[in-house]
Amino acid sequence: MILVPVTYKGGIYRHGEVMDLIEDIGGYIIQKHMIAQEVVLQCFVPKADVEFLRNTVKPISGEITDSSLVGTEIAVVSMSLEIHHLPHMSCDVAEYLRRLGAKTNMVSLARGPGKRISQLNDEERDVINEHDIAVYLLGNFEKCIEYKMPKLRRGITVPIVLCGGPDEAALRRITDPPLDGYVGYCGRYMHRAKETEDLTKLDEIIATVTRVLDKRREAIAKDPLSVSPARLMDLIRENVPAILDVTSPTPLTVQMQGLRVKLPYDPYAPEIRKIEIEDGVTIGDVAGVNPSRMRDYILVKILPFSETNVVV
Amino acid sequence: MQAVEYFRVECPEPRGAETYDGIANTVLLDHNLIRVIRKLHIYVDPNVPIFIAVGLMHRITTLVRVRDFANVNPLEGKITLVLSNETYLAPMLKIFWERFGQEHVEQADRFTVILRGVTAKAAEIEEIVVADPSEAVYKDLIYALKCIAPEGFRIRRESYGKGMFYFVASEDTLPDEVDGHVKTLFSKMGEAYP
Repeated sequence: MILVPVTYKGGIYRHGEVMDLIEDIGGYIIQKHMIAQEVVLQCFVPKADVEFLRNTVKPISGEITDSSLVGTEIAVVSMSLEIHHLPHMSCDVAEYLRRLGAKTNMVSLARGPGKRISQLNDEERDVINEHDIAVYLLGNFEKCIEYKMPKLRRGITVPIVLCGGPDEAALRRITDPPLDGYVGYCGRYMHRAKETEDLTKLDEIIATVTRVLDKRREAIAKDPLSVSPARLMDLIRENVPAILDVTSPTPLTVQMQGLRVKLPYDPYAPEIRKIEIEDGVTIGDVAGVNPSRMRDYILVKILPFSETNVVV
Repeated sequence: MQAVEYFRVECPEPRGAETYDGIANTVLLDHNLIRVIRKLHIYVDPNVPIFIAVGLMHRITTLVRVRDFANVNPLEGKITLVLSNETYLAPMLKIFWERFGQEHVEQADRFTVILRGVTAKAAEIEEIVVADPSEAVYKDLIYALKCIAPEGFRIRRESYGKGMFYFVASEDTLPDEVDGHVKTLFSKMGEAYP
């Protein structure tokens, strides 16, 4: 069963029925937002049932849209948290990515600002590597990007999308080996991105991120995961009641190859490992339950079929 | 920037010049400094790296006096000041305390100050200078230039006097030729820096 990421938008009226329907057809609800009278559900549903769901929610004025970034965790890497980069454009990019369903974390570097100063410490590197993709937001000067980028990408194993002031061709020329995605004319600016020109750039970033993630999905599909991250999320929610008391907006953050559980590692990791998925197969059998570098969270990394010989 | 008589951004990278033009425009507009600046020349070179901004300001002659923001009403041996806004309340009270003594100054509420037993006349109090905006403008200008300058350029030198200013920033020690650079940039604007 192929699950596709979609977003449901509709009123509060009868939204409980929509949630039941999504679960009944074998889908998973990743996140639920209640904004005034509106409900937004980010979910995975079986590909074959998307049209059925779309038609079913029409009578209650619900809308189903494709959201390619649902179920992904993206690191927006900003060179610092000073006024030069925040709130524009780091927050603009992070917010735009969230609109399409991604969970974004902003990673600001301790030694990122300037031309000469460019270092990535082990904590920053590990935190970035825990994400599905990293979006690097750099400045306007080709010279600075050329000088800094080799140091800022050292040790990063996830795909990188580079955004900077010079045009795309220049960004390509100054990075060797090539990165996974480039968005030019998108460096530092000091105004809110609301003009058509700015929004087009943000759309371009979304398109590039989506393209890179699709490639990654294709690579994962060649050696499928032993269990779907969304299914694991549901299982943990059912079996670890403490997760319901976590006040974070996403206590369980679904990634492409795993999920982040926002519970302390020491007391909860053994409990999570022992959860049975199906026919005696436990989470510990098909996934690595590791401590995350982000606070004291747990990072569940699902192993591929080739390593476990099991798909549940 | 139409209100500015001369505005130019110089950079070896054309794209860098274009974006810094936009950044300078936005920051100066946001800080309400467009009307204060008469000429501005920015030079950024990421190769050195260095950021230099030189410029001229319009003459700011307006001083803020008590009459600009308060009504002074003498009545039965006391003078009541009714403030229309409290922006300059703190510096005004400080001046009154020094001049008349704290025991003669009473602040009834945020917008009312009463002077008791003072010899000065109402017209005299109305003319007291409370603030000189040109000092604040200089601070605002330097803050704005810090925002415009590339991030991480933390070694700075700035100067302001006789309506002229310059701001130099780098992430390395400032090179000796900075003074020469500043003079050259002033001459590009058609001005001579003393």
